[in-house]
Amino acid sequence: MKASARLVVEADPAGRTTVRELASASPLTLLPQRGRVRRAGEPAVVHLVSSATAPLGGDDLHLSVLVGPGAALRLSGVAASLALPGHRGEPSRYTVHIEVAEGGAVQYLPEPTVITARAWHSARLTVNLAATARVRCREVLVLGRSGERAGRFTGESHVLRDGTALLRQRIEIGDEELFRSAAYLAGRRVLATETVVWGADPENALSSDWWSLQPMARGGSLATALAEDAVAAEQGLRAALTGHPGLAAQAPD
Amino acid sequence: MAICTAALVLADSRFPGGGHAHSGGIEEVAARGMLRDERDLRSFLVGRLLSAGLVAAVFAAAATDLTRDWTELDVEFDARTPSPAQRAASRAQGRGTLRAGRAAWPSPALDKLVAEVPAPHHAVTVGALIGAAGGTPADAAHCAGYLAVSGPASAAVRLLGLDPFAVNAVVAGLAPELAAVTELSERGHALPAGELPAPSSPALDLFAESHERIHRQEVRLFVS
Repeated sequence: MKASARLVVEADPAGRTTVRELASASPLTLLPQRGRVRRAGEPAVVHLVSSATAPLGGDDLHLSVLVGPGAALRLSGVAASLALPGHRGEPSRYTVHIEVAEGGAVQYLPEPTVITARAWHSARLTVNLAATARVRCREVLVLGRSGERAGRFTGESHVLRDGTALLRQRIEIGDEELFRSAAYLAGRRVLATETVVWGADPENALSSDWWSLQPMARGGSLATALAEDAVAAEQGLRAALTGHPGLAAQAPD
Repeated sequence: MAICTAALVLADSRFPGGGHAHSGGIEEVAARGMLRDERDLRSFLVGRLLSAGLVAAVFAAAATDLTRDWTELDVEFDARTPSPAQRAASRAQGRGTLRAGRAAWPSPALDKLVAEVPAPHHAVTVGALIGAAGGTPADAAHCAGYLAVSGPASAAVRLLGLDPFAVNAVVAGLAPELAAVTELSERGHALPAGELPAPSSPALDLFAESHERIHRQEVRLFVS
């Protein structure tokens, strides 16, 4: 299935964010949270609901998110996605592109992606930030359902601010030797990362045995946790982000 | 194919570039009891070579083109190295390598590199030196890829008292992986800096910070 969903949020002159455009495309459904008037600076909340069988082999899914000047958005998942193999073993692809204008802020917090056995999935996230834009971007990868080996997965993330690369990373899942390697995933089934470009970064890296918060060279920080299950990985991320001064000073809604 | 002398000199453990002070993550992994024998070492080195090693190899290959925008290459290497401990280790080794290397292969291109980026990353330095000496992108990738595993391997001998013959055999046994990394780097070296491969190494990044944290509290043998 080929699908392209699009979400545009803008701030009105009073600084209140409104959803300007919302185009779901099955299996990507965008559900705005309605029912009350937002204060200035408060993010619009949109839930990303993907159908239970997506991404499926053969799928080519695209999500494009635009956050206008001074607007704020929280885009959250509601349930884990299962990357599943197609009938004829064809690959699936999911690209997410996020553009944030000056003074804009976006929190992209999808639920975990489970790379099931025999899946062949690739994901690509690009985030283009204006000089004063902020972002939090989470990714939780689960290598297979319980008792199952993961299929194949390639994930790429590119985060740029004002045209300068802050972070470029590619993760490859599916090679048993790499998975076991203490230099790669150390045999841990869940990899959780969160890129944070949100005010001040920590002066030095913070770390525990299985999580770290690393200030990047050109701004922004990367929180990483490796764990045996998604709950522990998310706890690790939370522990790491507790030490982020920018998030502490200006807690996102 | 002739062997590039500059690549041999840079890959020699007797090259006075300061590489001996770094274990490339081995010390932390050994301290955690996650590396006990030659099999564990091979597993670690394969992971290191195909992630951080590939980044180093492809950036070294790219840096043999002495007309590169050094600042751009520096920014893009940083973007692939989220760990501050690893960035610091890379720049420290770059500085040491450059000091010894400029004496060996003086070149106006290297002066320009230092003018633009005073403390270049190790991989970029290795590539620029090999480029200045007339080597190819493949020479530089091969050298940088080898350095990504040879230093950590000898650190394993010193830290764990592993059999030096067996460890040497492990390194020699990485020839197919090293050839693959060299080939990938050769194929990709001319890409714009932003499009160069960016394999991550989550565990290595995490352990680099643990090493740094513990290094400040107690004595460790290696800087990284």
